[in-house]
Amino acid sequence: MTNITRRHFGIMAGASLSALGLPVLSAPSLAQGKPRVVVIGGGPGGATAARYIAMESKGAIDVTLIEPQKTFTTCFFSNLYVGGFRDYKSLTHNYDKVKKGGVKVVHSLATSIDRDKKQVVLAGGVKVPYDRLLVAPGIDLKFDSVPGYSEKAAEVMPHAWKPGAQTQLLVKKLNALKDGDQIVMIAPPNPYRCPPGPYERVSMFAHVLKKKGHTKSRIVILDPKPAFSKQGVFTEGWEKHYPGMIEWQDPKIHGGIKGVDAKTGEVKTDFTNYKPALVNVIPAQHAGKIARDAGLTNQTGYCPIDAASMKSTVDPNIFVVGDASIAGEMPKSAFSANSQAKVAAMVIRAELTQSRAFPARYSNTCWSLIAPDDDIKVGASYEPVDGAIKASNAFVSQRNESADLRKQNYKESVDWYNGITADIFG
Amino acid sequence: MRRAMPARISAALLLAMGGGAALCLLAPSAQGADAELGRYLSSECTTCHGASKSDSTIPIIHGLGEVHFVEVIKAYRDKALPNPVMQNIAARLGDEEIAALAAYFATAKKPK
Repeated sequence: MTNITRRHFGIMAGASLSALGLPVLSAPSLAQGKPRVVVIGGGPGGATAARYIAMESKGAIDVTLIEPQKTFTTCFFSNLYVGGFRDYKSLTHNYDKVKKGGVKVVHSLATSIDRDKKQVVLAGGVKVPYDRLLVAPGIDLKFDSVPGYSEKAAEVMPHAWKPGAQTQLLVKKLNALKDGDQIVMIAPPNPYRCPPGPYERVSMFAHVLKKKGHTKSRIVILDPKPAFSKQGVFTEGWEKHYPGMIEWQDPKIHGGIKGVDAKTGEVKTDFTNYKPALVNVIPAQHAGKIARDAGLTNQTGYCPIDAASMKSTVDPNIFVVGDASIAGEMPKSAFSANSQAKVAAMVIRAELTQSRAFPARYSNTCWSLIAPDDDIKVGASYEPVDGAIKASNAFVSQRNESADLRKQNYKESVDWYNGITADIFG
Repeated sequence: MRRAMPARISAALLLAMGGGAALCLLAPSAQGADAELGRYLSSECTTCHGASKSDSTIPIIHGLGEVHFVEVIKAYRDKALPNPVMQNIAARLGDEEIAALAAYFATAKKPK
């Protein structure tokens, strides 16, 4: 086990860390150098924070981003890939510009956090010391929240709630359906990543079926919730574009989701047994493993934070942003994560370099596509109020909006995707 | 800062009207804008505007004239312009913050 020093990071970029013999540098000599920020997770929260700290500190802070994957495929907009509006490649981004922006990117898995020694331990045992740590691991799925479901079962009944092979598997299964086949989606309980996501996905399922002329196919949503995001405008859109195709069941209708059987392909509720051709199970979620293992979560499974800074309420040297955090009234979205990361980056810089601190400002907008050129949105501003992040000026698309406005929303969402991915990945 | 605002706005309006004298007035007021505040607040804008092109629905705001910037943001704040995303962003911006943002974006280069 060895410590990584700033001196050696340059050499190690792109190399296998565990394969290198690294010297141990004593704590005093580390303390004499630049302050060190380590970021775990290269998604919308982590990559944004790393880039902004490096960019705004102009070299005064040593920033290291730890992310096992060499490319990142966004979960946001993956529904548009499901619907055939985008190709998979367009959702995939690399870290070249993050590196050019002064961030040391280490493609390794962070396996644990030693909070006492202020070190992140990587796969292979290499230790990375930090003065401030930003944790942005996203969510993990609680497979056993749906009886019979498991990581193995997901190979047959994809969740596709983490980007990558699962999304591609879902699309493969969707495209193989025949007219008359049934799709069942098990929607997740609150709180979960991307509140409108399951319902946009169902819209994309229906669009694909409609485009193929599958007039006899049906989609059933089994929802553990009594209501869902943008429900009024989603329902209106489904009636308009896909009449009779989508059936949403709340717990009063299905009576309880009893479980799935990956071997037989069955889905059981209190009232009915389904044997659909495609099952999409989106289970309950909690913060990524490394945050849970480090004791940064509470009984909710997510990480409590200070509303004015995104600092963990458990450890003053650690910040948590994105889906893993309990961000009050902010939804778990890439937009939220990106927004939270900028606040955390500003506070971290202020703490380490005495740069100016400003009041936290957060914002979020989520766009959802129902059908070609029919896009709806929901959003709000957020600020810390009495210790919690509260929404203000909330808005949501309304029923009976003009086709022009909905088309404008779609164009806006595409421009937003280009903007935010450039903001995250450079 | 707040007391300096009327001078800034009147200078901006003069410039909008084509008054040459406004150029002289604008320079000192631009120097008075809180550059650090503008840069911090701009990060909220960059989320959506950072990769805009000339034909984007989300317009390019890097390099936008200060006067025009202030007018547009205030119009969103007053809900005289329709987009709820921008109305939402503008709703919590004070005059000083709008001025700081305008001064920042007037000279800011779009991220590469």
